[in-house]
Amino acid sequence: MIEFMFALAIGMLFGIGVFQLLRRDLIKAAIGFAILFSAINLFFVAVSAFDGEYAPFVSNVEAGRQTSDPLIQALILTAIVVSFGSFSLVLGLVNIISLRYGTVDSNAVNNLKH
Amino acid sequence: MGENVFVLGTLVAPLAGAVVALLFAKNNHAQRLVGLISSIVAWIFSTLMLLQVHQTGVQTYELGNWSPPYGIVLVADSLGGLFAFMVTTIMIGGMLYTLHSRDRCMSYPAFAPLFLLMEVGLVGAMLTGDLFTLFVFMELMVLASVSLTAISDDQFGLEAALKYILISSMGTLFLLLGIAAMYAALGTLNMADMARILLTGERPFLAPASALMLLCAFLLKSAVFPFHFWQPDFHTTAPTPVSAMLSSIVVKVGVYGIIRLVTLLFIVEAPLLQRWLALLGIIGVIFGSLGALRTYNAKRMLAYSTFAQIGFILVGIGWGNTLAMIGAIVYAFNHAFIKSSLLMLMGVVASYTKVKTANFASIVGIGHKLPPLAGWLVLVGGLSLAGVPPLNGFISKLALIRGGVAQQDWVNLILLVSAGILTLIYMVRAWQNIFQRAPIPETTPTKDTGDSLLAPMLLISICLILGIVLAEPLLQLVTETVREIGDPNTYISAVNLSLEGP
Repeated sequence: MIEFMFALAIGMLFGIGVFQLLRRDLIKAAIGFAILFSAINLFFVAVSAFDGEYAPFVSNVEAGRQTSDPLIQALILTAIVVSFGSFSLVLGLVNIISLRYGTVDSNAVNNLKH
Repeated sequence: MGENVFVLGTLVAPLAGAVVALLFAKNNHAQRLVGLISSIVAWIFSTLMLLQVHQTGVQTYELGNWSPPYGIVLVADSLGGLFAFMVTTIMIGGMLYTLHSRDRCMSYPAFAPLFLLMEVGLVGAMLTGDLFTLFVFMELMVLASVSLTAISDDQFGLEAALKYILISSMGTLFLLLGIAAMYAALGTLNMADMARILLTGERPFLAPASALMLLCAFLLKSAVFPFHFWQPDFHTTAPTPVSAMLSSIVVKVGVYGIIRLVTLLFIVEAPLLQRWLALLGIIGVIFGSLGALRTYNAKRMLAYSTFAQIGFILVGIGWGNTLAMIGAIVYAFNHAFIKSSLLMLMGVVASYTKVKTANFASIVGIGHKLPPLAGWLVLVGGLSLAGVPPLNGFISKLALIRGGVAQQDWVNLILLVSAGILTLIYMVRAWQNIFQRAPIPETTPTKDTGDSLLAPMLLISICLILGIVLAEPLLQLVTETVREIGDPNTYISAVNLSLEGP
């Protein structure tokens, strides 16, 4: 059951993220990008965090039982840091664009189209 | 085992340089000097590393003494070592160009550190033995290059940077999704461990899907046909040394990743992937050449030309026999030198106009203002790009065509050769426009000074050396490389996995 819920949540986040990324408003596009990254992080959680039943390293594990995977948390932390860095860079770029062009409508930011 | 200092040094030298350069935020000249020195140190390390790889086999460094597959390990096999060597060599050219450039963006205190961080990302992506670390380094490279383009003197740089970061983030997302799928399927992130499990014949449900996602991410990074539309804008608007790096070595990260995918990880799926690579490559060759033929800007012409040249490399990988792989790697190596020097030369040409543009309308006949050497350098570079003997472009085209003859794929071969003739047409036409025609006074407001020719001169002379003196050693080196990557067990056993069983 929990796997189905996770699949549903990842799918919905992915859909919302892609929809937002394709909006004309650049700020909404940037937020869509952050939502997409959360979808991936949730996918990381879903693939292996629920394998075991105990916290790793600190628990006394009974025979035949498993601890959960500690590596995945390190991965997600790194992914969050990376996504935070790129998200803030995108927002910074959008900020300068709004100052320079006076709008964040992506149809108006089209000087490269010759 | 696993304590090779040179592998670590290649990665750490530019990183240390970036930190030291930040300390000199007030003194711009010192920053650039620090950048140059640290890139030279990185080059020395990478040269020693490459020599060692070819004398004693694959070199590794286990970060923090954590043994693989649990710890992160840096692996310099002959492929990664060769690509890292290429990156560090061209980076010296880039730093040398910034030393004498008068662009306004290079006076920002963040310029030299970001430039060095781009090198860290590139070298790291090519030397790491861990798929997740590859993602981190690629993202570092993307963020650094986006920031560098956003502060460009070109007013469209900001727009191109935003376009690129949104598209490339989609690529990064798919890379991350592919990595998560691999981890779910195989329970490891170490590339050698993955390859070991996949070699046993086990095919988890998610592995082919993950292969496709990783392939798409790498194709996007090297701007191959369906994912190419950001590339001409981004490479044209970047500051000159940055665009030279983007068009020559940053696109090669994708090529490196694709070679790893088809030779190390997904050997069973490789024939299917390679059929697609050859098709996408040939589309890129045709459209890139035609786009370069009818564009209005010299730097944009070279960006389209990169699109075509990456197509040549992909067709080589797509053919996939030994000779074609040799051709593809030699092509990737030589193209980096030719394209970076040509883009720098166009930057020098643009720096002699008042508004710093490389539009053909503004640079017609500007050649008489430049030192006479510039014309010769552009001509040599252009002929080399088109593959005229005895330059290094000829060696790479010859090696690739030998692969095609071995594969007996005549249709693609004819298309490749005719695209080579198109290259000759647009390069010679650009040279004639700039250096042979009489200037039009009212449309060409020029200056009497511009950027120095030192860096492109260095790179063009490397091209000449590679074409005339070092052609045979380079081919031997790459032949050895292809023999080594032909057997994934070399890579797997060198990483010295400490645990058996999946």
